[in-house]
Amino acid sequence: MLQSRLQVLGVAPQQLSCLHTSTSLETKKWERQNLKVYPPQQPDDLRRPAEIYHSRRQIKYSKDKMWYLAKLIRGMSIDQAIAQLEFNDKKGAKIMKEVLEEAQDMAVKNHNVEYKSNLYIAESNSSKGKYLKRIRFHGRGRFGVMDIVNCHYFVKLVEGPPPIIEEKTGFDQAKEYVQNLKNRTIIHSL
Amino acid sequence: MAMPMRRVLVALHRTTLSSLKNAEGSLDVWHPAPLYLPVRTKKRFFIPPAVKTREKKVIDVEKKARKAGIVLRQQYLERPINIACTAGIFDPYIPPEGDARLSTLTKEGLKQRTEQLRQSAGSQLAIRKIKEHDTQFKTKSFAEQAQEIFIEAHNHLAQFNREKLHSLVTERCYPEMTRGNRYKTISWRFVESLEPPKVVHARCPEMVSKGNLYGQVTVRMHTKQTLAIYDRFGRLMLGTEEQPKDVLEYLVLERHVVNPYGRWRLHGKIVPSWAPAKDPIIKTVLIPGPDLKPGEEFDAINYQVPKSEAVQWNK
Repeated sequence: MLQSRLQVLGVAPQQLSCLHTSTSLETKKWERQNLKVYPPQQPDDLRRPAEIYHSRRQIKYSKDKMWYLAKLIRGMSIDQAIAQLEFNDKKGAKIMKEVLEEAQDMAVKNHNVEYKSNLYIAESNSSKGKYLKRIRFHGRGRFGVMDIVNCHYFVKLVEGPPPIIEEKTGFDQAKEYVQNLKNRTIIHSL
Repeated sequence: MAMPMRRVLVALHRTTLSSLKNAEGSLDVWHPAPLYLPVRTKKRFFIPPAVKTREKKVIDVEKKARKAGIVLRQQYLERPINIACTAGIFDPYIPPEGDARLSTLTKEGLKQRTEQLRQSAGSQLAIRKIKEHDTQFKTKSFAEQAQEIFIEAHNHLAQFNREKLHSLVTERCYPEMTRGNRYKTISWRFVESLEPPKVVHARCPEMVSKGNLYGQVTVRMHTKQTLAIYDRFGRLMLGTEEQPKDVLEYLVLERHVVNPYGRWRLHGKIVPSWAPAKDPIIKTVLIPGPDLKPGEEFDAINYQVPKSEAVQWNK
């Protein structure tokens, strides 16, 4: 309301004090998750699993191509993931393997993780980095804007064995559906 | 690259115009510029600014500033040194072997307990020098004061109060106390004092110039304390909350005696060579094995983990 009033008065919006001091493109939110400190746990509480966030920025690779690798290692244990990436032929696999090894070292040294193999990949994402634009010359005097692509890669390691996801087949789902139908009762009937 | 493109585009523009007149649109016949060619055409192509700037001119900031009349002050490349405290413990106290190991009931134990401050000339001289500058210094009351400083400093360390910690602990001791603590939670509690604290050693070294005296006094304390360190996720890393431990410590306090506003602050600790080993941490740690040549096998049974030699060190 205040801003609209000031605009009416003729004050340009840039002259107002701005709360946003950095753009959304340069935030390092993922790395800041590593600085969160939890209060001490009671002795009878469940031991909280350690979470380690790591990322690499401005990788010279496409975000779409990186996504395939990120999707591949989601939910795997760290040893399995490193093994899969080592024998993968893609360019991004080598970089991703380095990132995972760095994260593993960080976990053991800085985040009090006892066994370096006792980690699994909880989250693994790729996103668009900053692109450089160049001209791409086409025939007949035409041109296109060429993007030189960069991507970011984010990974979250959690301590513990990888969670086992129960895969439900179509037949099981159909059986469940039929069972639900059979369990229906008609109330206040004869 | 921009020039040939513009020429190409202008030429294309001309040929398209000529084709409008001429249905066949012969591209190899060069017609003279038509009368109605617009002089100022809208720029219909996009060249990113990065492409144009091939050679970046090296901008001499100094020259520009001189032209503008701005005078920059001469930069002094200096490293700041701290004169409020010394960098270490001079002539450290060597605690006698088996201190606080004998019970009071034996003759030797009683002798140990009732031992007065050693009549070593060095300590007496140092205490005399300190008393010259600080008239209220008394060895009997100083020990109590030292224990109070110790307790307060560690309480502030547990709550992590930076300012109060700086006033109770010297600049040399502060990083040693706080390194690695940032993402951890420390819970420390002083239970009780088993023996009254005692001043055992004193030295008054001079730094750099004559008369610049720093007093360093060693106090022996036998106390019961509880310590528990939690990591970033609130999990116990070291120690227990309930079980207190008997701790025998030799604290070194320092003061810049020449400075009238100087205060006695914790400067360090002396760990004797016969000190018992610390409790192991809760987690298992990987010790890197020996370097093996290709073809050699690692002999796990006969391999002994290398142990460091027992040496007195100051903390």
